[in-house]
Amino acid sequence: MKDLINRWFSRNKGASKDEAKQRLKFLLIHDQVDLTPGQLEEMKREIMEVIARYVEIEPEAVSDFRLERGEGHVALVSSVPVRRVVERAAS
Amino acid sequence: MSECIVVTSGKGGVGKTTTTANLGVALARLGHRVVVVDADIGLRNLDVILGLENRIVYDLVHVIEGECKVKQALIRDKRLEGLYLLPAAQTRDKNAVTPAQMRDLVAQLKQEFDYVLVDCPAGIEQGFKNAVAGADRAVIVTTPEVSAIRDADRIIGMVEAAELPEPTLIINRFRARMVARGDMMNKDDILEILAIPLLGVVPDHEDIIVSANRGAPVAFDDKSLVGEAYRRVARKIRGDADVPELSLDHDTGMWATFKRWMGLAPSQEVVG
Repeated sequence: MKDLINRWFSRNKGASKDEAKQRLKFLLIHDQVDLTPGQLEEMKREIMEVIARYVEIEPEAVSDFRLERGEGHVALVSSVPVRRVVERAAS
Repeated sequence: MSECIVVTSGKGGVGKTTTTANLGVALARLGHRVVVVDADIGLRNLDVILGLENRIVYDLVHVIEGECKVKQALIRDKRLEGLYLLPAAQTRDKNAVTPAQMRDLVAQLKQEFDYVLVDCPAGIEQGFKNAVAGADRAVIVTTPEVSAIRDADRIIGMVEAAELPEPTLIINRFRARMVARGDMMNKDDILEILAIPLLGVVPDHEDIIVSANRGAPVAFDDKSLVGEAYRRVARKIRGDADVPELSLDHDTGMWATFKRWMGLAPSQEVVG
């Protein structure tokens, strides 16, 4: 009986195609770029370091850092909120 | 003007051979002279799908090695004027043939036929390179699954690397009922990811199994919805501009059921 109810509910849930599409998009990007999640994280850390030399940022506030597939290319997309320009000593 | 089209997918088991056989039948029914070439050397199956397995004497490797003339190896389909099969060798492997030899063979066939359809083996190695060698363009077959679409994407890249024009897509094994409840990617989901022009969507249907059992491709059957799907793809391949899209919407309404029951609409009993 419980089985039957479970099956009824899971049948109505559906929408596994969204999961398929998300997984597929991720797969295709990584097939093309060949970066592990660890390397991606490392790249993010280094890029943030470089940015921080010029402007003041909050690394925790970086909402986006991912690879995205456009037509015929893969783009690195990130949104980095800038607090203010770092005062630099006059050279 | 004649043309060589390679049917390819990357992944195995998505329906390349069935597609090649049905497009061959559908194009011949439109009055074209067609040869379907089995390039899957060592694992031939196109002969079986077409029901011509008992008539093989010579094969593609015999032709390439000069043991017979092309005409001796061609098997004429007695059911349909203008349809011929060039079978693959079963006891050899892919290395028995080079891309240059395939190019020469296809050039010879193009003198005799309007369409040379090449059934490409699965994979991305030597067999693929041989199959695309003489092709003017490629048709990619995929199913609405993550693995098949991933491989299709890879193959699209390889087709472009082989300097063929942008390939076109056939979405095979489409299940309208699963799409309706959100458990299968729909046409637009797939086109968004693969970004190549669509030739057609072919529904998943028991007819395919029955036709394979009998060795009679479903494109022969005027009553079959799958057969109609292949016939429309064939018309698009030859460049007809006015091919209407086949309705595959899962329609369970009483009126639709009644119409089907009365024989007023084609059967939509698509495997769901």
